[in-house]
Amino acid sequence: MELLFTLRRLEPLEKLLPFADGIVTGRYFTTGYHLSLDEIRQASRFCKTFHKKFYIVMDDFISEDEKMLMYDYLDFIDSIDVDGIFFHDLGVYNAAKSYGMLSKLIYDGKTVLCNSLDSAFLLDQGIDSVMFSRELTFEEVKEIVKNLSGRVNMQIFGHLRMSYSKRNFLSNYFRQIGKDYDFKGKETLSLVEEQREYKMPIVEDEDGTYIYTDYVFEMFSEISELKNDLKRGIVDTLFIEDDALIAQVLRDYKRVSATNGKFIRDSFLHNHPGNYSSGYLYQKTNISKE
Amino acid sequence: MNKIELLAPAKDLEKAKIAIMYGADAVYVGGKFYSLRSRASNFSLEDLKELSAFAKKYGARVFVTVNIVFHDDDYYGIREYLRYLEKIGIDAVIISSLALIPVVRQEAPHIECHISTQLSSLNSSAVRTLKEFGADRIVLAREASMAQIEQIARKVSVPLEVFIHGGMCSNYSGRCVLSNRMTLRDANRGGCAHSCRWKYRLYDKDTEISDPECLLSMSSKDLRASAYVERMIHSNIASLKIEGRMKSEYYIGQVVKTYRKMIDEIYEKGRLPKERLDYYDNELSKAENRPSDDGFLSGDCDNTKHLYGVNGAGVTHDYVAFIHDFDARRNIAFVEVKNVFAKGDELEVFGPKIDNLHFKAEVMFDQNYDPVELANKPTQLLMLRMPFAVEKGDMIRKAAVR
Repeated sequence: MELLFTLRRLEPLEKLLPFADGIVTGRYFTTGYHLSLDEIRQASRFCKTFHKKFYIVMDDFISEDEKMLMYDYLDFIDSIDVDGIFFHDLGVYNAAKSYGMLSKLIYDGKTVLCNSLDSAFLLDQGIDSVMFSRELTFEEVKEIVKNLSGRVNMQIFGHLRMSYSKRNFLSNYFRQIGKDYDFKGKETLSLVEEQREYKMPIVEDEDGTYIYTDYVFEMFSEISELKNDLKRGIVDTLFIEDDALIAQVLRDYKRVSATNGKFIRDSFLHNHPGNYSSGYLYQKTNISKE
Repeated sequence: MNKIELLAPAKDLEKAKIAIMYGADAVYVGGKFYSLRSRASNFSLEDLKELSAFAKKYGARVFVTVNIVFHDDDYYGIREYLRYLEKIGIDAVIISSLALIPVVRQEAPHIECHISTQLSSLNSSAVRTLKEFGADRIVLAREASMAQIEQIARKVSVPLEVFIHGGMCSNYSGRCVLSNRMTLRDANRGGCAHSCRWKYRLYDKDTEISDPECLLSMSSKDLRASAYVERMIHSNIASLKIEGRMKSEYYIGQVVKTYRKMIDEIYEKGRLPKERLDYYDNELSKAENRPSDDGFLSGDCDNTKHLYGVNGAGVTHDYVAFIHDFDARRNIAFVEVKNVFAKGDELEVFGPKIDNLHFKAEVMFDQNYDPVELANKPTQLLMLRMPFAVEKGDMIRKAAVR
């Protein structure tokens, strides 16, 4: 398994790269990345110098008006040495095909890719691999990873995206209550449902609004069972400002073996107290209202 | 140029028949399995068979939603199900699982594959991808503007379907699992708890920045695209889709009939003058239980397109009775009470062949022939003297007092 982390600012690259096999970063058609195109080019060169992998993410939807930007961006991506492109909008498939980049595509299913058959269908279309939804149980994860050995990627750490809207929930709300609040570029805002207590991070950018889990997903105990078949494991750094913590996460995922996963998890949680969860790995969501 | 299709939802057999009788060219329904909207009654295999036969008599088509986000276990029995749908003459399945395209081709070669809005197709490149994958029709994302829809339609050859009316997810379809987190109900397998319509406090770090008197809500107004129907027709869109598999027969009847007449008038006259659009908008408002707007069709959705206060508003009419039969000799309608009405109330009848005929409720009897002054027992059957002929399937409403 390649261990990757999302590079959201250029600064920590040098510090964190030694602990990982590569990075995932982006500029357009994604959220929470603050690198310019020049910085992306720089990061790509840096990765290649140290023989690390370099991936671009474009996991937002793309409107018809943005198609030219998509092609321009693919031109740019084509001009730098990328090992893969995480995508979500199926328009990228058609466009990347015209660039001969099909074999670099990694479909990130976000919330809608939950099974082996759909994954296999997409792989049959010539793409590199898939990243399935985060709402699966560990048993389901194991089954899919086994069925599609070597062609599956997974987010293994970080806040999980729970919703994605084209609507500007924050701007609209402030307009509604007549409040002038400067939140642009901020990643410190959160929502609390009025009957609940946990804080769910919320971000708005020019492409819409995104809400994430209150907890940080981790799977230190489980990763050893998947490591041989999983193609890439991604540590998502969104909302995590502490680079030392990310370095520790990467170190710990690297040293997980068949026998020490639980120990590593316990010691990580002991040394870094916080709101961590195994997400849905052991918590099946009901199909319907009961 | 084929006439544009009017596609209506139905949560059960009765509503599907109403939709067809009131002018839908096609209906989409969910079976007991593989379908979102778990709280819709959903159709048994026998219901689907009966609906298919009923639709054929009217020259209408039937689409079955197979649109959950499948987990591996959910595919159990899908091949048999598809074979059954083919056997009973279902015309299309609405799918979000791409892996089903080859399965449908294999097991049910006469059934079309329509790609659900769950895949949020928002550009011509995505539409081309799906066509290449074997799709017969693509339902566009509700986030596309009218100008974008026109551009996409110009560039692709595969038939496109566009939502024109009804409730809207405030997030991209399928990209919201708030319900999973907050209620452990899987939004993508029919368990959506509509968490977007709840109220939220907003914080910056530990400081609350929301207004306690008006908390944040993601709730969107419903979609009403009546003003865009003419452009959609001229854009060569294949199908206009009404949302609402949870809705009542009244909603289905009124909305379907209104769009049916509007579409027919546009085809007949080439255009729809503003006063006619106003008329149709007024008709649509009679079935609304939530404020509506044109969503993303006109561009962005600003705060005026959200609901921050009470969700329900704007109801102009109450549906008071469904007509089960009519005795032309005695001018008596046999009606089922749906909402309260009283002797002396001014009522309005509409139906597949009737446009808003008014009358005063004067003579009402229950099944024992006892006179009734106040019809206030929903599902009660009454006899109601009518000043004009009506038919089975017609409905009665009265102006709402709020």
